[in-house]
Amino acid sequence: MGRYIVRRLLWTVLVVVLVTLLTFVIFFVLPKGDPATRFAGKSPTPELIQEVKESLGLDKSVPEQYGLFLKRLVTGDEYGWPGLGKSFQNKQPVRPELIQRAQVTITLIIGGALLWLAIGIPVGVISALRRGSVLDRVSMGTALFFVSAPVFWLGLLSLYVFWKQLGWLPGTGYVSFGASPGTWFSHMLLPWMVLALLFAAIYARVVRGNMIDVMTEDYIRTARAKGLSERRVVMKHELRTGITPVITLLAIDLGVLVGGTIVTETVFNLQGLGNWLLIAAQNNDLPVTLAVTVLVAAAVSILSLVADILYAVLDPRVRYQ
Amino acid sequence: MRPRKMGTWALFGALVLAGSLGLAACGGDDSGDSDTNGGDNGAAAAKGGIYRVGTTDFGFNGGFDPSGEYLGWAWDLYSNLLTRQLTGYRHTEGAAGVELVPDVAESIPEPTDNGTTWTFTLKKGVMFGPPVNREVTSKDYVTAFERIGTESVVAQYGFYYSDIVGMKEFKEGTSKTISGITTPDDHTIVFKTTKPIGDFGYRLAMPATGPMPAEVTDCFTKAGEYGRYVISSGPYMIKGSDKLDATSCKTMKPISGFNPTKQLSMVRNPNYDAATDSTEQREALPDGFEFIINTNQKDIFDKIEAGEYEDSVDAVPPDVARRYSTDDALKDRLKSFTDDSTNYIYMNLGEAPFDDVNVRKAVNFVMDKDALRRAWGGPLYGEIGTHIAPPTLYPGSTEFDGYDPYASENNAGDLAKAQEAMKASAYDTDKDGSCDAGSCSGVLFLNRSIDPFVKMSPVIRESLAKIGIKVQVRELPTGPAYETSGNVSNRIQIGANARWGKDYPDASTFMVLFDGRNILATGNSNYALTGMTAAQAKEFKVPYPKGGVPTVDADIDTCAAAIGDERAACWVALDKKLMEEVVPWVPYMFGKNTDLLGPAVTKWDFDQFSGEAAYAHVAVDPSKQK
Repeated sequence: MGRYIVRRLLWTVLVVVLVTLLTFVIFFVLPKGDPATRFAGKSPTPELIQEVKESLGLDKSVPEQYGLFLKRLVTGDEYGWPGLGKSFQNKQPVRPELIQRAQVTITLIIGGALLWLAIGIPVGVISALRRGSVLDRVSMGTALFFVSAPVFWLGLLSLYVFWKQLGWLPGTGYVSFGASPGTWFSHMLLPWMVLALLFAAIYARVVRGNMIDVMTEDYIRTARAKGLSERRVVMKHELRTGITPVITLLAIDLGVLVGGTIVTETVFNLQGLGNWLLIAAQNNDLPVTLAVTVLVAAAVSILSLVADILYAVLDPRVRYQ
Repeated sequence: MRPRKMGTWALFGALVLAGSLGLAACGGDDSGDSDTNGGDNGAAAAKGGIYRVGTTDFGFNGGFDPSGEYLGWAWDLYSNLLTRQLTGYRHTEGAAGVELVPDVAESIPEPTDNGTTWTFTLKKGVMFGPPVNREVTSKDYVTAFERIGTESVVAQYGFYYSDIVGMKEFKEGTSKTISGITTPDDHTIVFKTTKPIGDFGYRLAMPATGPMPAEVTDCFTKAGEYGRYVISSGPYMIKGSDKLDATSCKTMKPISGFNPTKQLSMVRNPNYDAATDSTEQREALPDGFEFIINTNQKDIFDKIEAGEYEDSVDAVPPDVARRYSTDDALKDRLKSFTDDSTNYIYMNLGEAPFDDVNVRKAVNFVMDKDALRRAWGGPLYGEIGTHIAPPTLYPGSTEFDGYDPYASENNAGDLAKAQEAMKASAYDTDKDGSCDAGSCSGVLFLNRSIDPFVKMSPVIRESLAKIGIKVQVRELPTGPAYETSGNVSNRIQIGANARWGKDYPDASTFMVLFDGRNILATGNSNYALTGMTAAQAKEFKVPYPKGGVPTVDADIDTCAAAIGDERAACWVALDKKLMEEVVPWVPYMFGKNTDLLGPAVTKWDFDQFSGEAAYAHVAVDPSKQK
């Protein structure tokens, strides 16, 4: 197991390097033009373009720039470790901003994940157990609705109802936990709910499907034949096996959401990583794009590893060499 | 400077509009223009309160360092609130707002030595805010110019000062001072230029030239760094400036009131003496300002409506504007003013079929400008464009009253006249008024992929099809679209991704777009390639038409050296020449800035210089704020 983990961690490093390389290639190859011109005013002179290139480090060859990026990433730069440089757009160091925004995004993801697991798993289990019932149909119909509903629409609708019309919750924005735990919670409640509703719906359907598959397995029939109580059959055998794939799903979802909560963050004015990545991509802000990309790649890889390990713990049939 | 963002939040805007909240799509038939003068908004204006402004993104492109920042709204903040240049404006709308007035200078001098020497006397008692706490002297203006001449600072519009004697040597490092700027005493500064510059006074009103305390700015020699440490010389300062420890470079930490991705807070500068200023320029009524990033544009306007914000930097969405403009109880809270920008379609003079002036004239005749304006949201968002530089840049001139060389009924295009023009073209071989040569098909048309530009593509495609020009539409996000059109080798034949705003109220800031000597291989802004020479075409590896490319370089030089009425008349003549003889553009709309005000706003004005809200003249009633 130890060797497996080390091998997977090395693989994570390789993934991060490949992803950053791909991002570099996309940045320099796809837009036909000189990125420096975007930061040189509306009527630049050749001298000014050169000044911008030097200022942004774009005067070096692409391989040199990539090498320098990797070197700074590993050894750090004047703003700390890992070295992520300065934003092309606002000229500010990327690292402190990344840390600040990551806190917002992680808060959103964790809160949302707890909610969607708390809703999705029970709904999926109950639907599977009451397959074909009115409850099952209503649950799955509702799930289908939330899977289909665009997040931005749900977000705007929830703001309209709970902030504008009812005035029960504050509107958009983020307040740190340290500043006021109560205000932090009230500001995060709607984003958590909106994010959770989509994923809860997906998880409910996944859990239901898995449970139904498991319920037809021979060993379940055997368990019942041995005289185990229905509660024990469901909780110990069906549920354990039925939700195991959810762990993989959860790990990948959490990793992807590190940079993927763009819509939720934008609608609720949570200045997290997703929203930052969107703005950076629109502005060709390479250092910010790379920083978020590295974080997402690392998060997906590491969380996948965690999922695989948990998988082995939960399912005795799985063993890693 | 870069004009304000129009229709940002591009990824979601169209979706939101199409969404469930019942909001109508853009492009309605607004028949009325809700232009109302600035001035009060109901209740009496009084001092006090915090004026709160929402924006989806600050959009600063120079880190808010006045030396390099080239965003119109940033200039608005500097000149209304933070810094005081030698010259300035009244920060009001219309012609009065673009008339140059002295700011820290006692008066605006007449140049001497054949227009090459400008001597300014500074007012006494103008003070820097905390932590500098000393009087602004002439040397602080020299510091600003030295920063402009420092390459690593990346002064984006430093080219406006390259004709100051000694600037070149300073920039190249062969001189430690700029010999053409001298300070005989603390309250006198003398500029010498290598040639007469008729608009030099305007250039001294630009924020990069504002006073900078060397004891702070010397610590920040890289692009954008000083933006977190801007020291005030105006009525407000960045909140937390008084906590800045300026005893050494190492002790300075960014001023707490400015986080470039979240908020900019300003409070009164305790050292500001209103006696050194005039209420005509700055009333400074609120006790402070909060500029807040809110990534949800719809939420910004909801908050304005609810009284949680007073104003927005983003343009008002068309559906919101329509609702306010048609409601008697609300329409006073909607403001719309021409912001001195021109939205235009450019045609590449080096590429067939647009290398033929008759084709270009035909395009001007056939274009449905009214439909293009509807794509933007209707008359609240612009006046129909009929020439190059907006009318405000020709103050007092009546030359453009009713001027439209390509007039059509309801501005919907005149097919008959377009066909007549096309018949005179070599690309209409059978003389039926339709472009029929091979180069009339598959014409590369570039546009932006965001709202409202995408709504213009079908209008342009259909207008051109009427005269036989079949375009191949390529839409890109704003940045890549500019990069693509600015790269000459891409050979974009026609494009609508561009709009241009003035840097200062002089037509020269538009005419630079037609200077053939400014054409660059990349980063080019003369998209029509007006004035391109055969040698340049060879260098850029693009074809050069047999008939050549028309040039106005000599006209530009003549006008640039002129002053006063002669100068104004010269630019007017050049504008008309471009429209009638060269025809590089279809200018379809003179842009307008729309603002929606919250219920607590008691006074508001528009700053014609920056094309944004005149924060120097706003007031708020705290009792109406939420």
